[in-house]
Amino acid sequence: MIHAAVEILLAEDNPSDVELTLRTLKRSNLLNTVHVARDGEEALDFLFCRGPHAGRDFAAPKVVLLDLKLPKVDGIEVLEAIRADERTRLLPVVILTSSREQADVTSSYKLGVNSYIQKPVDFEQFQETIRQLGLYWLVVNQPPSEG
Amino acid sequence: MTRSTFPFRSLLGISAVLVLSISAVLAHASSPNEYDVKAAYLYNFGLFVQWPAAPEPDAAFTICVFGVDPFGKVLDRTLAGQSIGSQSTIPRRISNPQDALGCRILFVSSSEENNVKQFLSSLGKTAVLTVSDMPQFLDRGGMIQFMVVNNRVRFEVNLAAARRAGLTLSSQLVKLAVTVETSLPPEK
Amino acid sequence: MLVSAAALVLASGAFTAYTWLTFRAAMVEQLSVQARIIAFNSASALLFNDPVSAQKTLGALGASPSIVDAAIYDNGGGVFARYWRGRKSLIKAFPQISKSQTEAHWYTHGELSLARRIEPQGKPLGVVLIRCELGELTTRLEGYAAITAAVLAACLGAAVLISAGVHRSVSVPVIRLAETARLVSRDKNYSLRAAATGSRDELDFLIQSFNGMLEEIQQRDASLQKAHDELERRVEERTGLLHAANKELEAFSYSVSHDLRAPLRHISGFSKILAEENRDQLNADGRHYLARIEEGARNMGRLVDDLLSMGRISRQEVVRRPADLNLLWQEAWERLQPEFEGRKIEWRIGALPAAECDPGLIKLVFTNLLSNAVKYTRRRECAVIEAGQITVDGEDVIFVRDNGAGFDQKYAHKLFGVFQRLHREEDFEGAGVGLATVQRIIHKHGGRIWAEGKVECGAAFFFTLVPRKPSRPKPANSVSS
Repeated sequence: MIHAAVEILLAEDNPSDVELTLRTLKRSNLLNTVHVARDGEEALDFLFCRGPHAGRDFAAPKVVLLDLKLPKVDGIEVLEAIRADERTRLLPVVILTSSREQADVTSSYKLGVNSYIQKPVDFEQFQETIRQLGLYWLVVNQPPSEG
Repeated sequence: MTRSTFPFRSLLGISAVLVLSISAVLAHASSPNEYDVKAAYLYNFGLFVQWPAAPEPDAAFTICVFGVDPFGKVLDRTLAGQSIGSQSTIPRRISNPQDALGCRILFVSSSEENNVKQFLSSLGKTAVLTVSDMPQFLDRGGMIQFMVVNNRVRFEVNLAAARRAGLTLSSQLVKLAVTVETSLPPEK
Repeated sequence: MLVSAAALVLASGAFTAYTWLTFRAAMVEQLSVQARIIAFNSASALLFNDPVSAQKTLGALGASPSIVDAAIYDNGGGVFARYWRGRKSLIKAFPQISKSQTEAHWYTHGELSLARRIEPQGKPLGVVLIRCELGELTTRLEGYAAITAAVLAACLGAAVLISAGVHRSVSVPVIRLAETARLVSRDKNYSLRAAATGSRDELDFLIQSFNGMLEEIQQRDASLQKAHDELERRVEERTGLLHAANKELEAFSYSVSHDLRAPLRHISGFSKILAEENRDQLNADGRHYLARIEEGARNMGRLVDDLLSMGRISRQEVVRRPADLNLLWQEAWERLQPEFEGRKIEWRIGALPAAECDPGLIKLVFTNLLSNAVKYTRRRECAVIEAGQITVDGEDVIFVRDNGAGFDQKYAHKLFGVFQRLHREEDFEGAGVGLATVQRIIHKHGGRIWAEGKVECGAAFFFTLVPRKPSRPKPANSVSS
């Protein structure tokens, strides 16, 4: 439990979405490396080994799937914090959200997000999107080498 | 100013022309023959008398000389081509007092001085202008009497005699008279 | 003033000249009458060579003091008789009278001479000459001139006085009034007032009326300004409210975007999972219901998406720039191509104009109209879709027409309402948002959109992209009545 490197950090507050996402990842055989944070603060604590995760050795996941509408610290702020820290500056972050507001898309890209994905309402499309996403970032993508 | 309004026409009722030669005669009053002047005056008198209507319009205006004619050819020359009113003037010599009835102007020669009074009264009221140069002519019932004053031929008039004959002498004529008699001579 | 003075001087001059001429003529006439009398009275004297009588006749002239001397000549030119007053007569020469005349007169050294033929019945006897001095004429003329000058001076004086009076009582107030009017119209300062004359005449009435008018204008201006300010304040207030409402709407949209879509996805997702994992436990009815749940969620998702996009368009500013409508149509056509892949459609596309518009929005208009045309001709064996430009009453009108299902013209007004649909969902799917969006875009451009249709005979959509020009152009600065 302690030792498998976390490959995906999923920051999502909605339990249904968490369940559906996890189910999809599980179906795609990517589940055992996922860590779920239920709000922005927790996501940042996990990433930077603070608070409840203080004892954790820092290890960046391969990708962060970030919802925008998060309690306490919202997605945009989480993204800012990630890009502000030297260790996670190049960490691939994918915004995974229900919003198709142009403002959100623009500010996300300005903060250097790697992808902006809108969650489709249709479950089949949702499944396919998640599957493709996981495959791309975990299997296809060559992560930047640690400095 | 037009001729039609010239006052002579209404005043004298004459349309005859005047004698051109008279001017020349008058201009040399000192020299001319006395009877040249008198002949002209005879005619001129006709211009200043209001004549009763002529018995015939075409009848001549007769200027008669009774007795010995002192004028000779002068009178004929003077009256030739002249007229008084519409009547042309002609000279006529008479020896018979009866012939005087056809005259307008009658010059009584001095030769008749002796019986002039009877002659004049025989004319009665006949419209004949009687002229003479014999003295006392007016006293004897004559109308105009020639006289010479300062070498000029002048005349006297008797208005009463003229009036009795139905003749009116123009004031233009009367004013030139040396004396104007206004009463008839007493019947003798 | 100058004109009246000139007129007066001219009139006086004319009057004096007229008087002078009249006097001269009277003088000549007077002399002529006397010459005629002399001529008449001296005819007999001439005829009977009586210069004394002629002299007496001339002596009558003594009654006329102005007659200096006179003479009667005979035909030979010699002096027949003469008369003089004061100094001895200088008359020597026989006066010449032209043949056609009986009388002549001339002026010498302040004297008037008049000669007249003595010719009773047209035959010349001589000539009478009378000379008179013009002293009387001159004296009378001087008298008249003096009177005229006095009258003229009096008139001018009166004119100057009247003019000054008029100037003081009429001109000055009128000039002041005009100046006030000029200032008022130049500065638009309606608080100015023309000075009253103080007299109770028409002019004062005019000035008071003018001031009254200014008062009225000022009051109206004030109330207009008040109304204007009030309106401005209200507009600001409303604008503020509108902004607030817009913010709220944006927040709402955002919220809908996020919050509404998520539960839909959950419904869709879990019903899918249920269908997958518990298929065996469900009977045919259960599976049917699950399918309806999924379909419902999908429809609602689309509805939410359409609504959001419409809201976005409504808030979007129109940015006009020159665009080729042919190109926009082509792009819309290419984007929709997957929808009519394999269908037999006859395209009749005419040339479209270039236009100043927001190309992104107009492409969306074409996309929606084309999408509709494609959708409603679905059941046609041979669909015909037309597009082009026509001119109606001088306006450029763009149209898209199809020979599809059409609609009943009496419901045409409902076509462009949100969620208004004229067809049953099972016949032609759709949320009823497309045409509402199209209408909003056209209205935002200032244009108009309308539709003509007939059931089963097709539909046609017409729109313009610029505000309709007034049919009768009004002059820009015309004074409104």
